[in-house]
Amino acid sequence: MSRPELSRLRARLLRSGVAPRHVKRTVAELDAHFDDLVDEARGTGADRALAERQALEQLGDMDLLADAVCARPELRSWAANYPRIAVIVYPLACLAILPAVPLIAGVANASNLARWIACALLSGIVTATILLVLQLSITLT
Amino acid sequence: MAQTNPPFMSGVPELLLLRLLAQQEMYGYELVRSIRKVTAEAISLGEGVIYPALHSLERNGSLKSKRKPVGGRTRVYYSLTAKGRRRLKELSEDWRRVQGGVAMALETPGHVQA
Repeated sequence: MSRPELSRLRARLLRSGVAPRHVKRTVAELDAHFDDLVDEARGTGADRALAERQALEQLGDMDLLADAVCARPELRSWAANYPRIAVIVYPLACLAILPAVPLIAGVANASNLARWIACALLSGIVTATILLVLQLSITLT
Repeated sequence: MAQTNPPFMSGVPELLLLRLLAQQEMYGYELVRSIRKVTAEAISLGEGVIYPALHSLERNGSLKSKRKPVGGRTRVYYSLTAKGRRRLKELSEDWRRVQGGVAMALETPGHVQA
């Protein structure tokens, strides 16, 4: 599909509160449909530019299409359908999840965390050994 | 741009989609071609408009979808569920009733004043 048209449609749908998963899917399916229409037109001998123009016309006006998506509340995101509740629930959910953030970050970066802990332990052991050697040397001399 | 249908066509795309998908699973482009064929091009949709209709039908449980890679492209195939079959039956009965009523009104002489 004509990329600017597609980007505009995506942006408009997201701005209008359509759930991101529906936006992604609608755009992907339109893109594939557009390619099929272009192939069909090229099969009849049209050059690429003409085939793309015809395909875009067949798909329909992108503003009307956006209106058709936005007119279906079941495709809108939860927050767009209930904005007043979302304003309360989202901050509360963020606060509730805050104590778990270090744990989540730890799990997400488990390999790095394991390396850092191993390094800290190793440097601790080396430092303790040096201090022990120094202490012994002071004691024995 | 593609011709759009008047407002009284509301609900017709859903009925056609359910009817066609009752026969076999299809993807969007295939469905548009089938609608053209079975209606002898009497119904012309902006082709993109079927996607919100398909997504709504899937969301309310009338359809289910699955992705299939075909010829280097990923197609989303839709098929009817048991709920979709029930919905098709309801919509078909509604449509026949409305169609019968309108036909009767058109055939009844009189009542029309110039």
